[in-house]
Amino acid sequence: MTARSARAGAVLFGGIVLAAIAAPVLIANPPEQQFPGYVQAPPMRPHLRDDNGRWQRPFVYPLRLVDRLERRFVEDRSRRVTLRWFAGGRLLSADPAEGPWLPLGGDALGRDVYSRLLLGSRLSLGVALLATAGALALGALVGAIAGFAGGRLETLLMALADFVIVLPVIYVVVALRAAMPLVLSTGIIFWATAAILALAGWPFAARGVRAIVAVENKKEYAESARAVGATPWQILHRHLLPAARGFLVAQGILLVPAFVLAEATLSLVGLGFSEPDSSWGGMLREAGRGRAFAEAPWLLAPAAAIAVTLMALQMLGSGLGDDGSRRVPNLRQL
Amino acid sequence: MASLRSEPGNYIRYFEATGPAELLTLLTHTRLVRINRATDALEPALAESWTTGDGVTYTLKLRPDLKFSDGAPFTSADVVFSFKAVTEAPGSVLASSLRIAGKPPVVTAVDPLTVTIAFPQRFAPALRLLDNVPILPRHKLEAAFNAKTMHEAWTPARPLTEIAGLGPFVLAEHVAGQRLVFTRNPHYWRRDQNGVALPYLDRLTVAIIPDQNAEALRLDAGSIDLMANADIQPGDYARFKRLSDEGRLQMLDGGIGLDPNVLWFNLKPRAGHPKPWILRKEFRQALSYAADRQALADTVYLGAAVPIYGPVTPRNATWFSASAPAYPHDPAKARELLSSIGLRDANGDGILDDAAGRPVRFSILVQHGHAIRERAVSVLQQQFRAVGIGADVVNLEFGAIVQRWMKAEYDSVFHGFQGSATDPAMTLDFWLSSGSTHFWNPAQPVPATPWERRMDELMLKQATAASLEERQRLFAEVQRIFGEELPALYFVVPKVTIAASTRVQNLQPAAQIPQLLWAADSIAVSSSTPRPQ
Amino acid sequence: MHRGFLQFVARRAAAAALLVVLVSSAALILARLAPGDRLTGFDVDPAVAAAECERIRCQDPLWQQYATWLGRAARFDLGMSSRYGRPVGQLVEERAGNSVILGVCALVAATAVGIPAGILTGSRRSVVARVTRTASIILLSIPPLLASLTLLLIASRTGWFPVGGIAIDGATLLEQARHLALPVAALALPMAATLERLQSRAMAEALSERCIIAASARGVTSARLVWRHALKLSLKPVLAIYGIVIGALFSGSFAVEYIMAWPGLGALMYEALVARDAYLVAGCAAAGALALAVGILISDIALGAVDPRSTEPA
Repeated sequence: MTARSARAGAVLFGGIVLAAIAAPVLIANPPEQQFPGYVQAPPMRPHLRDDNGRWQRPFVYPLRLVDRLERRFVEDRSRRVTLRWFAGGRLLSADPAEGPWLPLGGDALGRDVYSRLLLGSRLSLGVALLATAGALALGALVGAIAGFAGGRLETLLMALADFVIVLPVIYVVVALRAAMPLVLSTGIIFWATAAILALAGWPFAARGVRAIVAVENKKEYAESARAVGATPWQILHRHLLPAARGFLVAQGILLVPAFVLAEATLSLVGLGFSEPDSSWGGMLREAGRGRAFAEAPWLLAPAAAIAVTLMALQMLGSGLGDDGSRRVPNLRQL
Repeated sequence: MASLRSEPGNYIRYFEATGPAELLTLLTHTRLVRINRATDALEPALAESWTTGDGVTYTLKLRPDLKFSDGAPFTSADVVFSFKAVTEAPGSVLASSLRIAGKPPVVTAVDPLTVTIAFPQRFAPALRLLDNVPILPRHKLEAAFNAKTMHEAWTPARPLTEIAGLGPFVLAEHVAGQRLVFTRNPHYWRRDQNGVALPYLDRLTVAIIPDQNAEALRLDAGSIDLMANADIQPGDYARFKRLSDEGRLQMLDGGIGLDPNVLWFNLKPRAGHPKPWILRKEFRQALSYAADRQALADTVYLGAAVPIYGPVTPRNATWFSASAPAYPHDPAKARELLSSIGLRDANGDGILDDAAGRPVRFSILVQHGHAIRERAVSVLQQQFRAVGIGADVVNLEFGAIVQRWMKAEYDSVFHGFQGSATDPAMTLDFWLSSGSTHFWNPAQPVPATPWERRMDELMLKQATAASLEERQRLFAEVQRIFGEELPALYFVVPKVTIAASTRVQNLQPAAQIPQLLWAADSIAVSSSTPRPQ
Repeated sequence: MHRGFLQFVARRAAAAALLVVLVSSAALILARLAPGDRLTGFDVDPAVAAAECERIRCQDPLWQQYATWLGRAARFDLGMSSRYGRPVGQLVEERAGNSVILGVCALVAATAVGIPAGILTGSRRSVVARVTRTASIILLSIPPLLASLTLLLIASRTGWFPVGGIAIDGATLLEQARHLALPVAALALPMAATLERLQSRAMAEALSERCIIAASARGVTSARLVWRHALKLSLKPVLAIYGIVIGALFSGSFAVEYIMAWPGLGALMYEALVARDAYLVAGCAAAGALALAVGILISDIALGAVDPRSTEPA
């Protein structure tokens, strides 16, 4: 069960990463293009059979705007917009002259939610995964040193960790943003956001790792390893850190969605991806401005995407740790 | 039950210029004369009549037997004190708006019920200026004024019993972060046409709700009756229309708005300017042609907006000039103008390049947190891109934007302002090149360009001109010059729709915020509908 | 409690106090470094700006301003808020009180829901466990902003709860509870999900410890296994994080407080930052640091009680 769910998780996660990488081919429309009559348009479902019951190549009915203020649309069944495969470098799209195909509907400016979701995955997932990796690595390092060394060093490092946790990140970012140049490229924003999130997140990992390492350090097998003459690094690496692996995996799985959403919070103080780039956090913030839940649920697609990613990570993570099975675990080496 | 987005920090309007402070002042204080915000006409308030001989000195007769909310009598001494305080108290934010040609008007008391106001020179709007100055009680504040601590006299840190005013309500309670509670002022001077003492309302509670969406949801649920910022977002229109059809809300047409969003450019001359094409009017004209205003109105305002080309909107009927240049959507003309100043796409990447081969890109600063503005700037970004101009949108916090503006380290800013006066002579700070809110190049010691010099001349003339027709003619010319040179671009102005619960009656919608509460003294509540909770 | 434990508590308390001072100092300096000042606006009269500068002595070098503030703060005088016109101490106290109520209720709710749910999903593989796990994942994917607005929408349509806001002083307990319900839900649900995930993994790990397997071999029933033995082991890592969860409540509560018009510390911190009200910023940061320090202290003490080994100095 564990192995199976881990495999399933790996496949799902791999699929997500692949979709992110292949995004420019998978999208149906340019993500920044605003389609004038499609503000908050609902998703356009492809059909295979037309009204007469005849089989056709996949097509969609274009949407006609009935009432602009009420954002009501009806399918214009008098026309069919055929979808084409591999046209213009895209897997499946519609001829721009005939009308757009919005698989997941349109956002507040009439842009293709599906395309923005796919391309936004590169930014959001990229930042979140990178920041998580950074936070875990840094946190594990600091926590391990603190837990192992103990004494003054431990107190100092943990105090530093507490300081970083308590200091409100937005204050730092505001001051930082002022020092940065006015126009930032997407690349710079990407790395800066990842760095800031990693620096904001490492103390959480560090605290947990320190607790685990400190406790493990006092167990008999660690003592005996020391007696045998193992170096501190060897002890840490082979004996103590593996004990923290489960915790780190759990922490990492929690950090990823938190970082995806935190990116939107950073944009409150000026450090977010700028228009027309899309990020999942930013799209959800836009969705939050209207009555998305009641009137335009397709705008919440990024939340579903985050949930799916999280699920994949969970399943993957269960393969890296234990998941309630009663089998004998890999015994630590003595 | 009303709602407000944030709370005032100082109860004296002289020291704080925010929306909440303005609302507080409208509710608890009165002016000598008042501008009826629905009709834009000047009405008597504390002064029941006035005369003038030469248009420079006015004599106002005050209403007799008026009392402040604490029972003390109102006399001309209070008027003299108020004007002295507003011009001389340290920290007064209104002082500069009361200076005409550098000097404030001189106010003297002739007798306890008569004052004269002598302007330093002929000032066309004249008494309209007085709508800015609420009259404060001398007996309460004179000591603080003399000690130069007036800005600390009436603040949330002090007891509320210290405050006295001539307005329809009295501030009874201010719970920080939660609400302001106003109760009826029994000494209020105004009566309705049947002689019944106003205000009709006994109690007005103003809840503080920072988020606009949450505010709309409260109105929807019926737990508030109206909002201080009473206009609704276009996205909420459909829902409120349904509620209005069910009889749970009333919707009022507020007409076309007065204050559109504006995109202005940094036109301060600089040696070695990296983007000299910004300073060319052809560039800005091209941008105006490139903008598809109808598409902007349809996308961002869902159709509820009207294209405009200058700072004065058709709502300001007295002053709007239809002969100012218009810029219909014409990308071909835009490209033509751009290539006429040497901007061509040299490397075929879709973005124009200047003579030195640098891409034509400029940054637009936008305040974070405004859905409409952020969306509008996104739409404009795409429209500019279609003619080869790259606009980089930078979303910043308000303080950061102002900082850059003050240091003139920006290319352009997209912003919106509220509550400007309708009479152009009252907004000289914007029109004159020496003005502090002459956004594209503020506080110039000497006009930097010939057209600004011409605008200065015309504006000063119309501020002192004798007849309304003369003033209109001069101002129309100013609008024409503005439309030619386009230091700032205007695109659309929204149609204002106001929503309130069906409990409230006698509403007089105005164009500026607070659209309904400016006339709070005449609002009544129908007793049939139960009070919401 | 033995002397070593008391020493441990004393040490941590001292560290907490120092932390509060450091954080508020950092916040003050950062607020000064951020561009703009209180009267920032497009139509500010230079004379007025100069007068304000005089009043808060913004011309003095940074270290001097800081020293002045520190001296006053030592006497618990946190200065006057320029944005709200009230003493900072008073403002922070009121708002912090509201935040504490919200936070404590949310914490209790989250713990009551999250920990048992985590124990459940960590120890068995039933359908219920799977559903719970999925629910947690969904809750972790929704930003607090969106969750708050959705809850408000539900409230406005159904009328079961007031649409945000806090109950008036002197309202009945029921009224207060009704006003509390939605903000608590908005805060507690994601936290419960986090706790559930952490507890689940910790429980799963604990169940594979050798001593548990040995006990199972000895014939201890699975129920006792889970609830007596594994639980104690699994609490360790969770408690280590608990303190941080408490502290994160205050910083993360900004979105919920803002949307739901709950006058708490999170919203105040943001307002202070936007208004560049440096004294208020420092005051809020101090309060937040205090809350977090207390949270960490509690969790360390709890950890020490559960596992005395961690309290010994190395």
